[in-house]
Amino acid sequence: MSEPVKNTLLFVLVGGLILLTGFMQSWNSAVLILNMGLISAIMAIGVNLQWGFAGLFNVGVMGFVALGGLAVVLISTTPTPGAWSAGGFGIVLALLLGAATVTAAVMIAQKMSKGRARTISLIAVLVLGFFVFRAVMDPNVAAVEAINPAAAGNIGGLSLPVLLAWPAGGLLAAGAAWLIGKTALGLRSDYLAIATLGIAEIIIAVLKNEDWLARGVKNVIGLPRPVPYEIDLQNDPGFVESAASLGLDPVTASTLYVKLGYSVLFLVVLLVLLWMAQMALKSPWGRMMRAIRDNEVAAEAMGKDVTRRHLQIFVLGSAICGIAGAMMTTLDGQLTPGTYQPLRFTFLIWVMVIVGGSGNNFGAVLGAMLIWFLWVQVEPIGLWLMQVITAGMPDGSALRAHLIDSAAHMRLLTMGVVLLLVLRFSPRGLIPER
Amino acid sequence: MSDSPYHDDHGNKDATITNKAGMGTMTPAHRKSGKTQYVGGGPFLIGDSMTGGYGKGPDILHDCTIAVDKGEIAVIVGPNGAGKSTAMKAVFGMLDVRSGSVRLDGEDITNLSPQDRVVKGMGFVPQTSNIFTSMTVEENLEMGAFIRTDDFSDTMEQVYDLFPILKEKRNQPAGELSGGQRQQVAVGRALMTKPKVLMLDEPTAGVSPIVMDELFDRIIEVARTGLPILMVEQNARQALAIADKGYVLVQGQNAYTGTGKELLADPEVRKSFLGG
Amino acid sequence: MDFLNAFVALSNFVLVPAIAYGSQLALGALGVTLIYGILRFSNFAHGDTMAFGAMIAVLATWWLQSIGVGLGPLPTALLALPIAILGCMLLVLITDRLVYRFYREQKAKPVILVIVSMGVMFITNGLVRFVIGPDDQNFADGERFLISARDFKEMTGLEEGLAIKTTQGITVVVAVIAVALLFWFLNKTRTGKSMRAYSDNEDLALLSGINPERVVMYTWLIVAALATTAGVLYGLDKSFKPFVYFQLLLPIFASAIVGGLGNPLGAIAGGFIIAFSEVTITYAWKKVLTYLAPETLEPSGLVQLLSTDYKFAVSFVILLIVLLFKPTGLFKGKAV
Repeated sequence: MSEPVKNTLLFVLVGGLILLTGFMQSWNSAVLILNMGLISAIMAIGVNLQWGFAGLFNVGVMGFVALGGLAVVLISTTPTPGAWSAGGFGIVLALLLGAATVTAAVMIAQKMSKGRARTISLIAVLVLGFFVFRAVMDPNVAAVEAINPAAAGNIGGLSLPVLLAWPAGGLLAAGAAWLIGKTALGLRSDYLAIATLGIAEIIIAVLKNEDWLARGVKNVIGLPRPVPYEIDLQNDPGFVESAASLGLDPVTASTLYVKLGYSVLFLVVLLVLLWMAQMALKSPWGRMMRAIRDNEVAAEAMGKDVTRRHLQIFVLGSAICGIAGAMMTTLDGQLTPGTYQPLRFTFLIWVMVIVGGSGNNFGAVLGAMLIWFLWVQVEPIGLWLMQVITAGMPDGSALRAHLIDSAAHMRLLTMGVVLLLVLRFSPRGLIPER
Repeated sequence: MSDSPYHDDHGNKDATITNKAGMGTMTPAHRKSGKTQYVGGGPFLIGDSMTGGYGKGPDILHDCTIAVDKGEIAVIVGPNGAGKSTAMKAVFGMLDVRSGSVRLDGEDITNLSPQDRVVKGMGFVPQTSNIFTSMTVEENLEMGAFIRTDDFSDTMEQVYDLFPILKEKRNQPAGELSGGQRQQVAVGRALMTKPKVLMLDEPTAGVSPIVMDELFDRIIEVARTGLPILMVEQNARQALAIADKGYVLVQGQNAYTGTGKELLADPEVRKSFLGG
Repeated sequence: MDFLNAFVALSNFVLVPAIAYGSQLALGALGVTLIYGILRFSNFAHGDTMAFGAMIAVLATWWLQSIGVGLGPLPTALLALPIAILGCMLLVLITDRLVYRFYREQKAKPVILVIVSMGVMFITNGLVRFVIGPDDQNFADGERFLISARDFKEMTGLEEGLAIKTTQGITVVVAVIAVALLFWFLNKTRTGKSMRAYSDNEDLALLSGINPERVVMYTWLIVAALATTAGVLYGLDKSFKPFVYFQLLLPIFASAIVGGLGNPLGAIAGGFIIAFSEVTITYAWKKVLTYLAPETLEPSGLVQLLSTDYKFAVSFVILLIVLLFKPTGLFKGKAV
């Protein structure tokens, strides 16, 4: 079987699995799997750019995804009345002061010669800067958070169309990635893994605790949508009529219509990004990236600035994760910082990339769709399996109850097993790099 | 680059998750030892008409013969890329010998792994990374004696007698010693197994001429204890001066063979390899 | 008097908790650093190995409690610890046999092993949740305090109380014993030295007749013991919750890296540096300062540099600073 035929069949297989969900369970769950699968595919493309094409080990995907989510709140929600005048500008000023402190510290570290004078002035600038920052920040934060805390308490957004939040999410993630990459990527070795692991936790901590920003764990709900609301569709006689002509009741038809609307939007973004990623990799830039990956010493000898290239691709990959994060928050219609877990948003994406085939964009997309399908479906399958296994046990058995209750945790186990099996028996992934 | 997907690290150089220091690079010809056979006769250690190369690669050695007998120093010299170290590695089992054989004390050991050759009594000092830098001198010697189950304190005393400076620095990390002292640790480590033959891969690489002379003196001293020494050397003139037997290799083949004196006197050898 | 009160308050809220937390981090970081030094990769599954060991301890404690075996004032978990260590050793040996060994035979690059460890992490995590569930489990029993705040106040007549939990005392004692044993093993025994030799120079270790598989097996056994001990001590001190162990991965990695990966001494130092910075920076200093500062200068706010929710940020910033100025960590160079 030739390569393209095999790959097409693999995609058809995953499509078939989703269709099967439609027939066996419900079309709503099928489209839901499709939508999150598409978003996961975008994240996987981002990680694949970094790992597959540059060997950069990003274990902070969760952080960039969350930043994308934050962008949705900041771009699309309405500004909280009075928040800006009460403290918004003060907060911006404080943040600028904080940035200035860090910049000054970096300048000192770079410009002054090594020695006690540098250490002392460095510490002095940082300590002073920290207290000035807190002095400006704290009262303004308190002022903003005091405004209608039950429903708002944050500065709100810019009231711009929510679709704008997607590129904005990418930009936000890119900014964060640039900062991390700048410090963690080095000449002889880098320490990106631990840096990304840390920054992801910090971003989540900020989202959870800085209520003025996006209400923290109080969550922002009811985010604007790029697609119509179900209730509006159900009240639209034209829609009800065309739904009826398809033999669907208006409620099902409207939910499907909305979800499929998202699917189309996501598919467009995925295809555009996929096309861009493919084009970039076929370009001289992409060839150079691979040359660096395969033989860094030789590439360096030819005068390539390896660290700079790595920084570029790290920022690009993270931006893609940010876009995906914004799309996901848009789909959810809410930002809930408490739900960001590294296993789900960092390591699961890694499983997708490795299973799909690191170094191949189509592999990443396939892996993402397949793994997402499994992630969703393992739970019911596990439950069913447990019921079969425990069928022989007596009814009130504690073991039986425990096994059935624990079926939900089969999902993590399965992901680990899938990853290990693929690594062992098909280490290049389902669609290997050519 | 090898084809194994497990060897593809995508150029990752993240020091927080991977540790490349001290990683194994050795690719022995046999991971598991095969049978040995007693054939008898011949010199104490001989790599007899060896032809072979690394793994599936092309042949580097062509019908090359290297031998050392009891009480002798044998030296392998030759131009860069002549296959000197390769010949020694072939004798030590780190190269696939496709035809020819290696015999130690009359026993055919061609199919043994390097570790088992150590057990059989071959001491090998690699050219680089030949000491445990983070461990003390004494610990280095102890590790040399790892395969011994008997009391090795007398061997250690012998090594200290041979290299008095090591006794002085016994509790210092070996990595903090000078180049010449490190080489002494390396040779000392190999002597701890009480080998029947000692193989040195360019023991004087990268040390100053004074240190080099001292190292040669020490090597002669070791040889006087009756231990046969097979050694690869860059500094052909000095090495041949102390050699009982010399092998000049060119492109993986024996070009000239004779006693050290003969080779030094041979006008051909002088002209081509010793600079007149 | 004010000074003494300030010191007691400081000990109560900063020193004692930080020492206990630091010991737990140090034990965790030792495991990470040993794997890094000898198997040459960072083990993402380490937090979950700790959780697995602690889970066995929880189950064993429940069993011991149910048959009425206990240690009186000391927690029963101490009796369960050896059982848990054995259980955890079994887990890591099976994992090594089924998973890691194959990659060693292939001479896989370390970064591949890192990815493999992600798979192991998923499985172990799932296993723990499957067996014991994702919820909090309390398994501490026995006397709660070595010294309670009230007793301390009565004893000394000071205004401030100093409370030392039994679990904190046990943490420090057990950690000291574990570290002493480890260092004795690594520096004095033949097997320990062969582990250091293997970490230092794999090829030469092979030429010296050291069997890599044995070295690896001993490493896993020690790591299992350390991880279980760390996990049980943390669980006793705080509480057992599978997800928390996963989150400990960041401070543990940070400790190991700050100290210098591959260096056991560094791992211990790193553990305490991280623990002390976390606790000091997220502690509200108002109480201590009120005793020290003259009345007119009494602080009005809590004088808390960062809210406790940012404790990860502290480990991270310390890590970044150390890496920027000393990329190989504070105790550089020396391998295991």
